[in-house]
Amino acid sequence: MKKKKMRGIEAIKEQYGWKCVSFWVVGLIVFFIYPLIQSIIYMFNETSPQVGYVALKFVKFNNFNDVFRVDPDFTNRLMASILNFLYTFPAVLILSFVLAIILNSKFKGRLFFRALYFLPVIIASGVVYSVLLGSQNLDTIQTDSSIRSDIFKTGEVIASLGLPEVISKYIESILSTIMDITWKCGIQIILFISGMQSIPPALYEAAKVEGTTKWEEFWLITFPMMVRTLLLVVVFTMVDIITSVDDKVMKQAYKFMELQSYGQSSVMLWSYFLIIGAMVSLISWLFYRIFAKKWM
Amino acid sequence: MKRKISFPDKDVIISRLKKINYKRKGVAFLAALLKYVVLASIGYLVLYPLVYMVSFSIRPYSDYIDPAIYWIPKHLSNIQFSNAQKVIDFIPSIKNSLIFEVLSAFIEVITCSIVAYGMARFKFRGKGILTVLLFAMIILPEQMIIIPKMINYSNLDFLGIIRLTNKIFGTNIKISILNTGFAFWLPSLFGVGLKAGIIIFIYMQFYKGLPKELEEAAWIDGANLTQTYLRISLPSSSVVLATVIILSVIWHWNDYYLAVMYTSKAESMPIAVKIAQMQTSLQTIGIWNGPYHVGARCAACLAFVAPMLVMYIILQRKFVQSIDRVGITG
Repeated sequence: MKKKKMRGIEAIKEQYGWKCVSFWVVGLIVFFIYPLIQSIIYMFNETSPQVGYVALKFVKFNNFNDVFRVDPDFTNRLMASILNFLYTFPAVLILSFVLAIILNSKFKGRLFFRALYFLPVIIASGVVYSVLLGSQNLDTIQTDSSIRSDIFKTGEVIASLGLPEVISKYIESILSTIMDITWKCGIQIILFISGMQSIPPALYEAAKVEGTTKWEEFWLITFPMMVRTLLLVVVFTMVDIITSVDDKVMKQAYKFMELQSYGQSSVMLWSYFLIIGAMVSLISWLFYRIFAKKWM
Repeated sequence: MKRKISFPDKDVIISRLKKINYKRKGVAFLAALLKYVVLASIGYLVLYPLVYMVSFSIRPYSDYIDPAIYWIPKHLSNIQFSNAQKVIDFIPSIKNSLIFEVLSAFIEVITCSIVAYGMARFKFRGKGILTVLLFAMIILPEQMIIIPKMINYSNLDFLGIIRLTNKIFGTNIKISILNTGFAFWLPSLFGVGLKAGIIIFIYMQFYKGLPKELEEAAWIDGANLTQTYLRISLPSSSVVLATVIILSVIWHWNDYYLAVMYTSKAESMPIAVKIAQMQTSLQTIGIWNGPYHVGARCAACLAFVAPMLVMYIILQRKFVQSIDRVGITG
């Protein structure tokens, strides 16, 4: 007892920290790092699955060669996936933030709308989405939305604004894929709402007494208090878009996995996720640089 | 010189105020209208599949071919549900889902909270590496490590202990946890279950936002780790707890990719796997295509989605609407 006190509270806290994460470290080694190392080994081997294990034959860099130089499809798919990511990401972020603000304000039928906007979480994150899309009639949703965009001719309307082509194309692509984007917003809305609700209401009351407008209230209270949640949502959205079932690279890797050439699928996934990992860490680093010093 | 200040009449003031009031009311009304229009128009996109599922799962065959019927059928029948029951066998598979998936979701909620508390609150050696590993866990997909993981599970060897005992005692023990609940529970128990990375991250962001003062006071009063965790941090995290429970349960309930890898026997399959395989299993009982095919799938999906919807509505009433951050004053 005396000895503990001598070592100071910081040492005790360090002990506590290790106590909290120790079982997780064991889990990481057994269920995460070990399989990860295995998949790195697969990259340099030709695999043939046997009962209970995978037989390996060392082939140096053949798998890399197959994926990047022999396979005509992969590099295109990689570029398509990354581009898709670049324009879906901001759209999802903005739409879900706006919807969360609306859903968090008080109005009649709030419970109903919240339950409604929760549907994408249940349906799109799982098997139901693909099962329903497999049925012929539900494909009418897609044609439905395309018909609507034909009627209003979004492309021409936006072109008449005289914006630069890059921007108008961006807006057009958002409008035409608004369906997909709505389906990706479910969890982001939930995270945003829970973040907004953990802002103490006393702050708003104080601001009201001081006579702030809604606009000032948003930028001076809501946004700074939401920075932490925003970082969470940014990371989650990136990962969610990349690992979704209809991602092109993932689809191809999955196809190779079904053909039992784990080496090539490992190469695809690793190269894809190294690029993505670099992007994620760059964005979260920028985020910390811009916001964290100010508000976190 | 005295200057006379002229006030407008009382009536004029009142009428001006009324005008301003009307203007404000008009703006507020327009804003509310806009709000409802936005919510309803996006809500329509979201609601469409659910209405579709309900409508197609309650109509008999005669109503499928009737061109006059679009949404609301004239007759009700349970033929779609009974067809779905034939291939899915709802009660055992829902039981499997509850035992395997939902239970491991709750285990995950508890263990990840402890890990995140340690990561967010304490400084210790090796934290940097663990943070990198956490990000790797979030970013890297399950597909990358599923094959080695499956091989691990089919021949479970925890840190080489079993291999060692086999060598020493000359025995030949092999433990396979595939097709059992342990394939789902074990990773959750060690905080590396389904999407555990993002759940730990959600908790961490929340715990970092909690003020430290309460805990500091508790440390000084001589509280230990369990006491501060159970009495201070956990009670004030009801918001994040509700969020995490909802997300974790839904992800587990919906998860099909891992479940299809871990279970190969029909009697140990969760409902998500059976729904994913419906297309072929419907064909084996003789329903090839057309209305019955669509209807049965819709019925099964409805039964699959309904419990989650109910859970969300109950939980959000209980937790999300009555939040107070315990013991913290601004």
